[in-house]
Amino acid sequence: MNMLNSPTGRGIIGWVVFAAIMLVLPYFVTTGIIRTFVFALYLAIFGISWDIMSGRTGYISFGHPFLIGIGGYTSALLTYHLAWPLYVTIPIAVVVTMIGGTLFFVPALRIRGTYFALVTLAFMELIYGLVQVIAPDVTGGTRGLSGLTSIAKGAIPNYYLALSVVLILGFSLWLLIRTRIGIALSAIGMDEDAVRASGINVTKLKLFTFMLSAFAAGLGGAMYVHYLGSIAPRALFDVGFLFQILVACLLGGAGTITGPIAGAFFLTFLLEWLRPYFPGPERYLIYGVVALWLYVQQPNGLHELTRMAVNWVRGLILRRKPA
Amino acid sequence: MTPILDAVNLSKSFGGLQAAKAVSLHASAGETVGIIGPNGAGKTTLFNLLTNEIKPDEGSVTLDGINIDRLAIHQRVKIGLARTYQVPRPFSKLTVRENIRVSMMPDSILGMLHNGKDLDHEQRIAESVGFSERQLDQLPSELAMGDLRKLELARTLATDPKLLLLDEVFAGLTYGEIEQISKLLVKRKETHGTTYMIVSHDLKSLAPLVDRVIVIHGGSVLMQGTFDEVVGDPQVQDAYLGTGGGEAR
Repeated sequence: MNMLNSPTGRGIIGWVVFAAIMLVLPYFVTTGIIRTFVFALYLAIFGISWDIMSGRTGYISFGHPFLIGIGGYTSALLTYHLAWPLYVTIPIAVVVTMIGGTLFFVPALRIRGTYFALVTLAFMELIYGLVQVIAPDVTGGTRGLSGLTSIAKGAIPNYYLALSVVLILGFSLWLLIRTRIGIALSAIGMDEDAVRASGINVTKLKLFTFMLSAFAAGLGGAMYVHYLGSIAPRALFDVGFLFQILVACLLGGAGTITGPIAGAFFLTFLLEWLRPYFPGPERYLIYGVVALWLYVQQPNGLHELTRMAVNWVRGLILRRKPA
Repeated sequence: MTPILDAVNLSKSFGGLQAAKAVSLHASAGETVGIIGPNGAGKTTLFNLLTNEIKPDEGSVTLDGINIDRLAIHQRVKIGLARTYQVPRPFSKLTVRENIRVSMMPDSILGMLHNGKDLDHEQRIAESVGFSERQLDQLPSELAMGDLRKLELARTLATDPKLLLLDEVFAGLTYGEIEQISKLLVKRKETHGTTYMIVSHDLKSLAPLVDRVIVIHGGSVLMQGTFDEVVGDPQVQDAYLGTGGGEAR
């Protein structure tokens, strides 16, 4: 009962319930739904990655596809041209993405807010051009590469693979933001100079979270292209892809780690359910309107709505209990 | 007495405006130095130069015998040089308690990971500036101006400063609150030997606290001496209070 009394304790119970449901899910739903879940899980990984960099610090990244793409292309090229195995190429891709993440860090030393977002957006557009212009015979140019090594065969193994990354990465980073680091990151988002004047090396802390974010983006990106089996510049370095990540995080509740996971699930299934009725691009208009409406209703996202619901239920239970 | 702070020839220009002209000043350990001067004289700039929020064009600062010219803001805080801001800058979405916690964190990622938040210490600091227990979980937006100043002070005290630069700590406070803060400063000086430099327009509240007063005018030191010497000086009255002198408030 002690666990129920602290927010962290209740959160851990939430994680356990979530993990349990997700682990048995393939026994109850169709393979088609599992396939949709795999996409939702990858979007969740990208959302987690975005959230640890931007959710609290206020350094809003519009260039996350840049990081994800570096991870994806690094592993794709190494397997495609050199036929290296995935257990070698994916770790290399993660390291290369973390080096790419330091490129994000350089503007973050000097600029904040909107300008930082624009610079990171430029990174994405820049690499979109570069992969097509520089050595198109190596990168596959505009068409990209297909027939890449698969990371796992079949929907269910892929589901468990992506799920394990979401659970391990998500839970670790969720624990991390519940330490004093989480408070320091929030404080950076409110008044960075005042954090400095509190005796904290803000630069070091930013670099640390940027590296964590790049780690998640690189790992997710590399695994994702080997799930898809193909890679192309417009599939990755694309504003539509960027918006999916952003909407998942904002809808779910930025800065909470669990929020972006919920947001990714909600968004992926919303788009999937709309597909039979609106096969064309008007589907994105509807999802845009739904996302906007929800965001206006509760800017703190699904995370906050869940918290309110849990508190309401707790209130009912506690009131009923004899004193 | 050994000097805890020794600043030599600090100069800073913003375009054509020379905000600090070869300012030299010192403070002895345990001393309370008042800094006064008319608006725009360069008092806050002087604090910014001491903390390195603004890099001086020239000059050098020594803290407790160590040259700190190359130390960044956060490093200066860690060796005991902290300040409050004229306009309080609390972390708007953190509670009073969490605001204080930020200042108590070690400056290392591993250190922050250790769940070493010291709730008792946080509470002691909050209560020492006069917060009630009920206020600990309030947000800055729920606090009155006086409480925001107290929070500002609590956040700096939590860094455990040897030399505390206080920028207009009394502005917007009631007499009762000013008395409470003054008592706190005096008490801390006795227990911790803290040195203070206090910028204030409120000369009446400043008078009982200070051992020495430095008058800044037009970016340089006009004169220094005891409170009575300085306030009685015709040159100071001319610069600070307007010709002819008058009430000290």
